[in-house]
Amino acid sequence: MDFDMGENVAALRTGLRQLVKEHIPEDFLGAFTEDPADLETAQRFCRILADQGLLCIAWPERWGGRDASVWEQTAVREEMWAHHEPRGAQYMGVNWVGPVIMRHGTAEQQRRHLPPIARGEVIWCQGFSEPDAGSDLASLRTAAVRDGDGWWVSGQKIWTSYAPIAQWCFLLTRTSRAGRKQHGLTVFLVPMSDPAIEVRPIASMIGPYHLNETFINELRVTEADVLGTVDEGWSLVQEVLAYERVGIARYARCDRLLQWAPSALADSWDRLPDELRIRWARMLVHCRRARLLAYRVVATQEAGRVYPADAASYRIAVTRLDQESADVLIEMVEAIPPVGPDAIRFKAAVQDHWRYSRTATVASGSIEMQRILLARALLAVS
Amino acid sequence: MRTELGPEALQYGQVVRDALGSAGGDEVAQLAAAEPGQREVIAAALGKIGTWDLDPRSGPDELEAAAAACRSAGWWAAPYPVTERIARPRDLDADALVVVSDTHRAAAVGGLDLRLATIDLHGNRALATAGPLDGEPRYSGFVAELKLAPLDVIGTADAALGLVLGCWTLLGMLDRAMALTKNYVLAREQFGRPLAAFQAVQFQLTDAEVERAGADELAKHALWSVQTGRDDVLEDALALRLATVEAAETVFRIAHQLHGAIGFCDETTLSWVSRYSQPLRRLPLGLSATRDHLTRLLGRRGLTELFNGAY
Repeated sequence: MDFDMGENVAALRTGLRQLVKEHIPEDFLGAFTEDPADLETAQRFCRILADQGLLCIAWPERWGGRDASVWEQTAVREEMWAHHEPRGAQYMGVNWVGPVIMRHGTAEQQRRHLPPIARGEVIWCQGFSEPDAGSDLASLRTAAVRDGDGWWVSGQKIWTSYAPIAQWCFLLTRTSRAGRKQHGLTVFLVPMSDPAIEVRPIASMIGPYHLNETFINELRVTEADVLGTVDEGWSLVQEVLAYERVGIARYARCDRLLQWAPSALADSWDRLPDELRIRWARMLVHCRRARLLAYRVVATQEAGRVYPADAASYRIAVTRLDQESADVLIEMVEAIPPVGPDAIRFKAAVQDHWRYSRTATVASGSIEMQRILLARALLAVS
Repeated sequence: MRTELGPEALQYGQVVRDALGSAGGDEVAQLAAAEPGQREVIAAALGKIGTWDLDPRSGPDELEAAAAACRSAGWWAAPYPVTERIARPRDLDADALVVVSDTHRAAAVGGLDLRLATIDLHGNRALATAGPLDGEPRYSGFVAELKLAPLDVIGTADAALGLVLGCWTLLGMLDRAMALTKNYVLAREQFGRPLAAFQAVQFQLTDAEVERAGADELAKHALWSVQTGRDDVLEDALALRLATVEAAETVFRIAHQLHGAIGFCDETTLSWVSRYSQPLRRLPLGLSATRDHLTRLLGRRGLTELFNGAY
């Protein structure tokens, strides 16, 4: 057994923490707040990461990356999420839009899209969910109707994160109704500046930019906008989900906040109910558990194997951890009023964590879908 | 990073599982309850394949082999102190090492002709003699009170080793409970369909599997902590114990629920794995006592994780 990630990863982690310390304000709670300065901070930080080859660390060198190992990628995921994701919306372009374009894009699409992503200059959004197609994504209705050398696209997307600030959309549409519903789907790469696209933000408890409606009315697209093969977009969606296999390193933020609690609460710590401190210790164990379940997925990925059940187990464990740890932390900060700037920052971070954690079992594939996947693997039933 | 046991350890674990299977497998658990002397077939079977010669303190290879052996003993719910015998202290005239708490010195070691040593979570060692069995073995799982003769104080590494190997044994029981339950829900039909076809059943099984899988990963991590002599090895061992005993609660509750009434019957292996899991889950510390002890140890320091002292 060896659970030491090695010196390279440790050095990378130290470097990332230093960059965060230098460039991210102490009270930063993510790019998506009511204060536009937070978004600017994230955009600036992305360019700093990009200059050092850290933004797209997993990418090949020819596209501005470092060919990083899966463990280095893991450290980046952990450090960024722990510090309230100072890359803002960039993770989407970096983690899967770029890699999918590398594998399936034309030379022109690669030339056009990859350099801006690698430089941290562009924000992408994902046009997947629709009012009647959530977990059952293949039921989507946004239609691309063939007309001459192109298509007219009309329909409605929902929950489109970052749509108001995105320049590009990875848009999944129906181009055919023949055969199974997974057939006949096509991905188009479309500019959000097109007047045929209208974005309406949805106010929510998790702050701006996260949830939006996207209306598409007679958007003209051509062959040049198609990613991959017409009618075979479902395989690209599967690939996207595979890139997201490990997903967000939610355990890292939970760990950071839990470890911060005793010093942030200072003398108040000793006045907390014993049971709350016991629940805190239990959550630390659950953090480790989720982290190790993530590492199991990463280790098999490194060996070139894929076990969907492992990824599902991890995601069930980590999303539950996210919510349970937030419940413990919010009770701690509400038990005794915070005293001093560190305690006030801690309380704000915990409140943000609590609100955002409510979405953990819903976002990026609900916990029910993960249970279905795991059950399928365990029981070989469909 | 190497997050799996080595191939030799895994192979040895299979050898232990096969040997216990050949020595009677599930029948031993049941026969021993009626005739405790039957447990010696386990000692003999494992003696033949060198289990009692393993020295888990000698290095990573034997430590990993010891863990794999404990897991296989758990698979059969072997009613014999395999963990304790593997962990025996090399510097004492003793056959087995039992980890005890401050409040209740007892273990599933009754009725055997073994020279016992104990260690508590502060590193206090003692020689011990086991009293009479605490009730019918079919209900008590061979638990006996221990009478201690204090000996010396050493570090807590041996206590951590004993706790970690005990969790590997319990993990083997969780593996078995899950396997039995999967087979049962696939075979048992109600309303014209296998139970496994019902999502309510599937979701319970997935909740149990997440608990089992989490304990599995923590068990390997804690073994690595023992192997590398981390300063906080006792905390790592207690963290593992906390998660494994929690997992046992979930796994056995769901396994019994999905088996229905048949799962309580002597003819069903689950009933024996379930009852023989009890001493491992309650001694030396039950779930609340484990949480309490870990919390005290952590104080304000927290567990050594990514952001310990670096938030």
